[in-house]
Amino acid sequence: MKNGGLSLISHRYQMLGLAAILLALWECICRYGHVSPLVLPAPSGVAVRLYAMFSDGTLWPHLAVTLTEVLVGLGVGITSGLATGALVSLVPAIERLVYPYLVALQTIPKVAVAPLLVIWFGYGLTSKVVITALICFFPILVSVISGFHATDRDQLDMMKAYGATALQTLVRLRIPSAMVLIFAGLEIASVLAVIGTIVGEFVGAQAGLGYLIMTYNFNLDVAGVFAVLVILSAIGMTLHGITRFAGRRYIFWIRREPAAVMAH
Amino acid sequence: MLTSSLSASRERPSNQGQTLITIQNVEKKFVTHSGDIVTALSNVNLDIRENEFVSVVGPSGCGKTTLLRILAGLSWVTSGVVKFERDTLQGPRSDVGIVFQQALLLPWNTVLDNVLLSPHLKNDRSESTRRRAEGLLSFMGLAEFTRRYPFELSGGMQQRVAICRALMREPKILLMDEPFGALDAMTRESLNVELMRVCAEEKKTVLFITHSIPEAVLLGDRVVVMSPRPGRISEIIDVDIARPRSLKTMADTRFGEICDQIRTIFGSEAPTASAL
Repeated sequence: MKNGGLSLISHRYQMLGLAAILLALWECICRYGHVSPLVLPAPSGVAVRLYAMFSDGTLWPHLAVTLTEVLVGLGVGITSGLATGALVSLVPAIERLVYPYLVALQTIPKVAVAPLLVIWFGYGLTSKVVITALICFFPILVSVISGFHATDRDQLDMMKAYGATALQTLVRLRIPSAMVLIFAGLEIASVLAVIGTIVGEFVGAQAGLGYLIMTYNFNLDVAGVFAVLVILSAIGMTLHGITRFAGRRYIFWIRREPAAVMAH
Repeated sequence: MLTSSLSASRERPSNQGQTLITIQNVEKKFVTHSGDIVTALSNVNLDIRENEFVSVVGPSGCGKTTLLRILAGLSWVTSGVVKFERDTLQGPRSDVGIVFQQALLLPWNTVLDNVLLSPHLKNDRSESTRRRAEGLLSFMGLAEFTRRYPFELSGGMQQRVAICRALMREPKILLMDEPFGALDAMTRESLNVELMRVCAEEKKTVLFITHSIPEAVLLGDRVVVMSPRPGRISEIIDVDIARPRSLKTMADTRFGEICDQIRTIFGSEAPTASAL
């Protein structure tokens, strides 16, 4: 642990170095490999296109629409997931009655429902918010339920022996210990939120980054498509970074290893 | 079973008083997952007197933890009576302190807040209570760690915090379920010394469960020897070694004799090769 900070920095440099090498390789292939920019644009081409999108102002309205959809959808998904999860976990009768249906609903691919939602909620903001919220809802719900189930039995005995009421046990033990898994669910949901919004925009929209991708694709503006992809991944990484940071601040007592897939 | 008249003839500290806990003909049966009925405790009779340190020693499966859980109010007897002073025991009591094998501290609370668990559950957030908790922690050598979190402490220190948490309830009896079982031998010995110091200072009645014979003899005024299948008390042995005791007590001849006596009880009940 002593030179952990140092090795972390050198690890960062190695990662950046690898990215630089891969980008340089990509650039060389495009320039000297006679690859048509209609198939694969060079990184420099993407960068120029990205800069143009920012400077001529085409990006801003679409970025605003998508960001709103992502954040509102994520918010609705988290709130409803937490509420349903708490209800299902704390009232055993509801768990027995409702949980099988929730699992059945979960098996339906949300992407396949997207066209229906566009018919029901229109081409505007609402349909995207609903799709995003639906996609975020289940990881949160599952994390809340398994979080509450993960309470240590010995700790429950300890609280009982110390005379804690059911409410005190909930507030002092069950909710804090559930937070570990709930934050894992939040991390997953924050990544899925962008996917949900883009799927909604693909199916039917008049604005947004997904709409922009469809338009550029139609015009064979491949560099433009790549530029939007860069922005989307930046949004996803920022959201994920925020939830991860919040999780580490909140559940400071768990010094966990970075997750295998989600690590960056 | 040992009657009080028999033990009265033995040498014991003078400050032991009235019977605090009476356990009469206690039987405890469990139904396992496969539907079998297991007798965890059978015909258990034991009186625990005030200011007495009772060690319970026995192999795993002898029901010693079941006995402690019943006294803690976490489990119920199938038949028989458990009385606390004059009242029949019904659920967890506020004048019982309990220390488990794991420290079981709340990881999101500071050391001080963990010790203050019991007062906090009763909405007691007074300055005097907090000072008492800090006093206990410094008595246990943890004065510098009050603002730390449990994960920053070693296993032995965490268990000291758990003992402070139990003492905060000003318990009439301290129930300890193999509290040092998960610790290394060195830490264990130092905590044994620590516990004797606390008991001398705070005048506590203790029921101490362990699977270590020397630990049971070193700490106990009496050692309850239990046997498995079904869990029962095979013998209760008085430890007639004067206090204060220290780790050097373990070198005494008398200490060795008592340990041997207990080993003989286990040996006589274990199936031997010749019996097969």
